[in-house]
Amino acid sequence: MNRFSQALKEKDFVVTVELEPPKGTDLEPLVKLASDLAKRVDAVVLADNPRAEARLDPVMAAHKLLRHAEVDVILTLTCRDRNRLALTGQMLAAAAAGVESLLLVSGDFVNLGDHPQAKPVYDLDSVQALQLAAKLSQGQDLAGGEISDPPAFLLGAAFSTQAEPRGAHLMKLKKKLRAGAGFIITLPLPEAAPYAPLRAETGEAKLIAGVTLADPAERERAAALVKELQAAKADGVHLALPAAQAELPAFLNACGL
Amino acid sequence: MIVAKRKPFDEIASAAAPYHRIMVVGCGTCVAVCLTGGEKETGILAAQLDIAAQMAGRDQIFETACVERQCDREFLDELAERSEGCDAMLSLACGAGIQFLAERYPRMPVLAGVDTTMIGVNSAVGVWDEKCRACRSCVLTMTGGYCPLALCPKGQINGPCGGARQGKCETDPERDCVWSLIWSRLEGSGRLENLSAIQEPRDHSIANLPLRQVHPAYQRRYSAHE
Repeated sequence: MNRFSQALKEKDFVVTVELEPPKGTDLEPLVKLASDLAKRVDAVVLADNPRAEARLDPVMAAHKLLRHAEVDVILTLTCRDRNRLALTGQMLAAAAAGVESLLLVSGDFVNLGDHPQAKPVYDLDSVQALQLAAKLSQGQDLAGGEISDPPAFLLGAAFSTQAEPRGAHLMKLKKKLRAGAGFIITLPLPEAAPYAPLRAETGEAKLIAGVTLADPAERERAAALVKELQAAKADGVHLALPAAQAELPAFLNACGL
Repeated sequence: MIVAKRKPFDEIASAAAPYHRIMVVGCGTCVAVCLTGGEKETGILAAQLDIAAQMAGRDQIFETACVERQCDREFLDELAERSEGCDAMLSLACGAGIQFLAERYPRMPVLAGVDTTMIGVNSAVGVWDEKCRACRSCVLTMTGGYCPLALCPKGQINGPCGGARQGKCETDPERDCVWSLIWSRLEGSGRLENLSAIQEPRDHSIANLPLRQVHPAYQRRYSAHE
């Protein structure tokens, strides 16, 4: 069992952080940052072309981190940039690299990123990507072909507490759980209040609350939110600093983690 | 219907520049209704091209014709005599009509005067909105008459993505999230059960290749054994 799934089972409160691969080829700073974080977090979530910006492939980044940073990795894969063949290939490549946890999301639309002229794919949606990963774990691809040495993925999905209409989003969340999601990471929460009612919807699946800083002056508010979530017996938090990931260790300090 | 918009004038004039006698061919169906390529627009474009040619000192003649439908062979035949002596045709039909015109007159350079934009509806005077992507596998019964494949930029079939905010799409705060519309309509008519099953990955094999459709009554006529 990998470190993250063990933590989900055994710990009252898990901590994950978001790391983005570089827009370039030097992975050393990422390895260094992940090494610094390794003893303080249960996993790093590697982003996949975050905000639809082209970056180094996260499977390669995951491979490096697992080998050199001694940290567990949750690999994000979006449906935006790959059809079902490419997603199958990436999932198998990830498993071969030692990745055991996936976070499967639709992916921000291309017009929000740095290549707005790109053709978006979305051959599968996030529910169907979960189905694909679950099927691979059972030794089959989506076409029914046999997968030798199948992976054993722990599957994650995303949820936004701020999205409306809530009923429609909860309906999709239920589909994600049925498709095999074992943990849910929320988009950044503005406050702790939405956590408990959402946790009541996720059943056996753990719910990890997203926390971010819109600006550095909010650090105290974010730290208070983390403490509030801990007091509310949340399953864990996922900290993300999209434009300033080098400050994650200090952010963890501020949050007392 | 099919909606199109006229290409930028300079692009059309530049494509037409090498030819002396050009027939501007309109289409009396979809592109006429969307005020892009009917008889009136054909005449306007020909006049504009004529003025531009005179100002540029080009010796060009622009004739006009407008057929009922450029996507029907019988209407294209009527251009045979009239196009004699022309060096090129400039079509204002949709992409299908332009191709069919070029197929009917293979030696004639056929220039595209419009960009085909969508299968859409006339929402208000002078306004057209896209509604259908011709996916060949309609889900509108399930989704309450709103198409998530055409109206969701991500083509989400199992529900909204996490980018939706207050019923609007992440790609544009002015654009309605179609899943918000679907949810409201089905909720209002007690049909939310429609959405409870997971929609399996779509079968794109039915839409990956150019399609030929034969009406059942004509299948014997066009079958390989005839």
